[in-house]
Amino acid sequence: MSGEHGRMLLNGNHAVAYGVKLARAKVIPVYPITPQTPILEKLSEFQAKGEMTADLMTMESEHSAMAACISASLTGVRVFTASASQGLMLMHEVLHYASGAQAPIVMANVNRTIGSPWGFWPDQTDSLAQRDTGWIQYYCESAQESLDTVLQAYRVAEKVRVPAMVSHEAFYVSHSLEVVDVPSPDLADQFLPPFEPALRLDPAIGSSWGSVVNQDMFYRHRRALDRSMEEALAEAGEADRLWGELTGRAWGIVELYRPEDAELLICTMGSMAGTAREAVDLLRARGVPVGLLKVKLVRPVPAAALREALANVAKVMVLDRNFAPGTGGFLRQELCAVLYGLAGGPRVYGYLTGVGGTNVSPGRIAELAEETLRAGEPSFYSIWKG
Amino acid sequence: MGYEIAEQNVFCSGHSACPGCNAALAVRYIVNTLGHDTIAVVPPSCVAIIVGSQPLSSLKIPVYHTTLESSAASAAGIKRALKARGRGEVNVVAIAGDGGTYDIGFQALSSAAERNEDIIYVCLDNEGYMNTGAQKSSATPYLAYTTSTPAGKPSAKKNLAEIMGMHRIPYVATATTGYPDDLVRKVRKARDVQGMRFILVLTPCLDGWGLGDHEGVKVSRLAVTSGIFPLYEIEDGERYTLNYGCTGTPAAAYLSRQKRYRHLSQVQIDEIQDKVNSDWQRLRKKFEV
Amino acid sequence: MIKPAEIRPVWTTGWTEDVNTGTWRSALPVYEGRPSPCGVACPLGSDIPAWIHEFLEERYESAWRLITALNPFPAVTGRLCHHPCEQSCNRLQFDGAVTVNALEQFCGDLAVKEGWRLDRPGAEKGVRVAVVGGGPAGLSCAYQLRLAGYKVTVYEAGKGPGGVLRSGIPGYRLPQEVFDAELQRLLDLGITVEANAAVGSGAEIERLLEEHAAVCLALGAGRVRVPPQFAFRDPRVISALDFLAAKGAADIAGEDAVVIGGGRVAMDAARTARRLGKSVKVLALERLEALPAGDEETAEALAEGVLIFGGVMVREVDRQPEGLRLRCNAVALDGSAPPGVYRPVLIPDTDFTIDTGTVILAAGQEPDLSPVAELCESHASLLVVNRRQATSRPDIFACGDVTTPAPDRFVSVALGGGIKAARGIIGYLEKRDSDEPEQSPVPFAAINTFYFPLVPRFVKESRDPGGRVTDFGEVKVNLSIEEALVQAGRCFSCGHCLKCDNCYYFCPDLAVVRDPEKYRIDEKHCKGCGLCVEECPRGAVSLKEELT
Repeated sequence: MSGEHGRMLLNGNHAVAYGVKLARAKVIPVYPITPQTPILEKLSEFQAKGEMTADLMTMESEHSAMAACISASLTGVRVFTASASQGLMLMHEVLHYASGAQAPIVMANVNRTIGSPWGFWPDQTDSLAQRDTGWIQYYCESAQESLDTVLQAYRVAEKVRVPAMVSHEAFYVSHSLEVVDVPSPDLADQFLPPFEPALRLDPAIGSSWGSVVNQDMFYRHRRALDRSMEEALAEAGEADRLWGELTGRAWGIVELYRPEDAELLICTMGSMAGTAREAVDLLRARGVPVGLLKVKLVRPVPAAALREALANVAKVMVLDRNFAPGTGGFLRQELCAVLYGLAGGPRVYGYLTGVGGTNVSPGRIAELAEETLRAGEPSFYSIWKG
Repeated sequence: MGYEIAEQNVFCSGHSACPGCNAALAVRYIVNTLGHDTIAVVPPSCVAIIVGSQPLSSLKIPVYHTTLESSAASAAGIKRALKARGRGEVNVVAIAGDGGTYDIGFQALSSAAERNEDIIYVCLDNEGYMNTGAQKSSATPYLAYTTSTPAGKPSAKKNLAEIMGMHRIPYVATATTGYPDDLVRKVRKARDVQGMRFILVLTPCLDGWGLGDHEGVKVSRLAVTSGIFPLYEIEDGERYTLNYGCTGTPAAAYLSRQKRYRHLSQVQIDEIQDKVNSDWQRLRKKFEV
Repeated sequence: MIKPAEIRPVWTTGWTEDVNTGTWRSALPVYEGRPSPCGVACPLGSDIPAWIHEFLEERYESAWRLITALNPFPAVTGRLCHHPCEQSCNRLQFDGAVTVNALEQFCGDLAVKEGWRLDRPGAEKGVRVAVVGGGPAGLSCAYQLRLAGYKVTVYEAGKGPGGVLRSGIPGYRLPQEVFDAELQRLLDLGITVEANAAVGSGAEIERLLEEHAAVCLALGAGRVRVPPQFAFRDPRVISALDFLAAKGAADIAGEDAVVIGGGRVAMDAARTARRLGKSVKVLALERLEALPAGDEETAEALAEGVLIFGGVMVREVDRQPEGLRLRCNAVALDGSAPPGVYRPVLIPDTDFTIDTGTVILAAGQEPDLSPVAELCESHASLLVVNRRQATSRPDIFACGDVTTPAPDRFVSVALGGGIKAARGIIGYLEKRDSDEPEQSPVPFAAINTFYFPLVPRFVKESRDPGGRVTDFGEVKVNLSIEEALVQAGRCFSCGHCLKCDNCYYFCPDLAVVRDPEKYRIDEKHCKGCGLCVEECPRGAVSLKEELT
């Protein structure tokens, strides 16, 4: 592998592409969809220039792209794909198939509104609606975080044999330029060992995968997957810690920003966390005791870490840039489930902000925080706050 | 006449195919010809049942079970992965039913052909979704009874062999169990060619077509000699070679053996014969070039 | 989350071979040699597909040995046999019967040419058996007894053995040297022949039984039936048997002859007379289309210029010095008459006259039963025998024309009768019964014609009638070896497995196993679908219901 590394000006999608190149993915089935296309364009460029030895498969749909990922992964090679929105929806059947097969695929998803009607705007409903498919899920707030998380995702996925998706939002992260530190190939190789699974599709081994099982076997498959997901939690933490040692960047599977004496924590994911960070600074500058709880790992849900972070906080304000009709925001719902029964746990205020990609400014978040500090009992529905 | 078919020991007894199943017979010929350096891809279908439920398999090669739409995509993924591992000589063969090929799997198949993926795709065509109880697929012939077309299918069977020929892939062939030496020759030929190879095998379904356990092979021959399912090859989309075609058997001789055609009136039989005649005349011209 | 015990996803770990799918079936394929219809029709019970297969593989001597296990005269029967095998051949319903007869002649002639010897007899038993009558039936019985190790003596009334084969068949149908060679080869096995040794009375037979453990009567049917219109002595009226025995050396006065009768003997006599240059008429009671001589012989006679009048009778004979005037009528046979009984009904106003110098009587033959009248039961001028060819005396057996009604008096039937009699004698002497269970022959429906491309039947050619009628050389020309092999290839081999492997290849469950000598069904996996039975080209395997 060749090409540049070091500090570069990259958008989120291109950063992901550099991450995939460093990860030495070998088979890359892709199908284009706005706003994911720069990822596959960059990878095509790497391959065409000889900087990357990989087989790009230009599939005819996302469903086929994921189908090819699964079988290629089970044949024992590292694979990658990327999608968004409609494409991710189309993959739904095979997302289940991938986790059932315990194929350690890594996929980048660019969070985009789902039709109908059409839109191309940042909204996390697409990947959150897949949270039951058995995939590890990461949410990133910046191009740097996305690059770093791609490598972490491979390491964790391959250790526990569970597929992982790394999401960042349309345009806010995917297309925004920032300075990104692209690690050297040596560092990446140090962090991520080669993928050599003992069980794979190989005539020399002869075993088959995927035929009909009886009820007992199916139950045991699910318990095995549960066990793997549980291990993923620890592995995610370990991967992040190791990455921090190698690069100086440990993102944490949850991150607390200025939590000291906070009466209110703003809890959110993805690019909203970046905006909320600024809101926290604004509020702290005025003496308002508010901090940020960023959730990076959504699956497996880091229950212990979240309960620990919120143990002695009076209120938590969840900002969901996503919406599930009938229940409201996904993160609020997850948080309530995780916090249930926590002695001294916070009151949870769930807000729907930025659904459909509407702009949410730091000022608006600060405003909401102050409002929430004054608020009485929270509603048990998410409230639309723009 | 004695067949001399060299077989490797890949297919096993003890599988769950119906007695007399022609799909099982076809799978035997195909995998025993391809040999042990092969990985098979199988979608939900009778073949998936024949291949076996965990923890046993009736094929002594790795079999990857995929979703119904994905046979061609999954097979392509495996082959690319094998090449990435330096094992490009291993055959990858998808063995799918007509439902998973003509209908829901067609998109992936057409795209794999367009990319000239280096796989062998075999469609075992029993002209319906037989595994789920004989519903219609786009491979079901005109006027055939199925549980979803009880008055007879109002539309014609899709001409998949020529459609695949139009993709200009290196090798397309039709075959059937009544001519096992021909089928084996075609599998061998496909094995030795690079790029996308497609073989369409007519495999009569005893339950779905309404035949006795012993009748599948005999009926497959009537399909050929009546001109309803001629055996031919298309190479690179251009060179058409006839292997076994119409020898004048009336369509009625083929239709009358099958319960799924019992409801036909004489007018309908004549109509089918006319269509068979005109289709055969059209196809014949391609062999003369 | 509760920590479960170590559970890892399971890939397949084994093959389905251990799964018993044999429990699915209700019928099991069974490989049994089933009789072919030709073998069942053959009066000798010859295993025709077996020897045709040897022939096809160019193992001619092996084919000949299979034939001669039962038939010591294949060069003879290859010329004379009425081939019921061909009439029952399954290929008749496809593209024409297999030319069994021509192939048998080919083997017989080749054996004579190559000087092949018959298989030596088994261990000597030191027991003597007498055969009275040295015609084909007697010789066949003697042959089988000799093979079984018995000491056999044939008592022949004439100058030498052979019976009908020596004296009743013209040379253009059976060359003398062919019969002589096969006869000598048979006698070389150590069969004793006493010529000029007629056995004329019951007392003589009883005397034979003092020295022989059993006797077989193969007396033949050598007495010519004289129709009442001809019941007078006149040198111009001769018996066809005497005429034929002279083999063309007995000349006939005058330029013409009239043969009375419609059977094979009548045709033989007529065609012999033609070769002596005579103009010949045949007068038969039966209609031309229904002559007992059969279509082939009739056509050959007609081609040679014999005039045949069917449905006519000589009412009376006017004996004149210059010739015999035959007053004739057209007749119709009364269909209500019992078989073997002729009741001609004169058709009014159809009388006509034929003048001729010679009349040859060929109107039927009977056995002379006077020697055995007191010893054994008889009926309708034939000796009565059971299915082991035993007469009413357990130590006296009979075979051949003396036991056979006239319509069935063929050489092959006589040979077959001799075999049955020998088996009966052996069973009587060795006190054992060999009753084989009867199996029905393979029907045409069991033949899978997909495996047999159409190949036309090609038969023996006949010499040009104009030329052949001037000599006694053979009329029929047998097939060349190339054509014979093509014709042998047409045999379906009904019921006889040829190891073509179809059953093996068409089993979806790989349940047909190729053992070194035969096929075996893997009962653990056979689902009883019957594809093997359907795809067997020749009905050599069948499904048998499993009742347990």
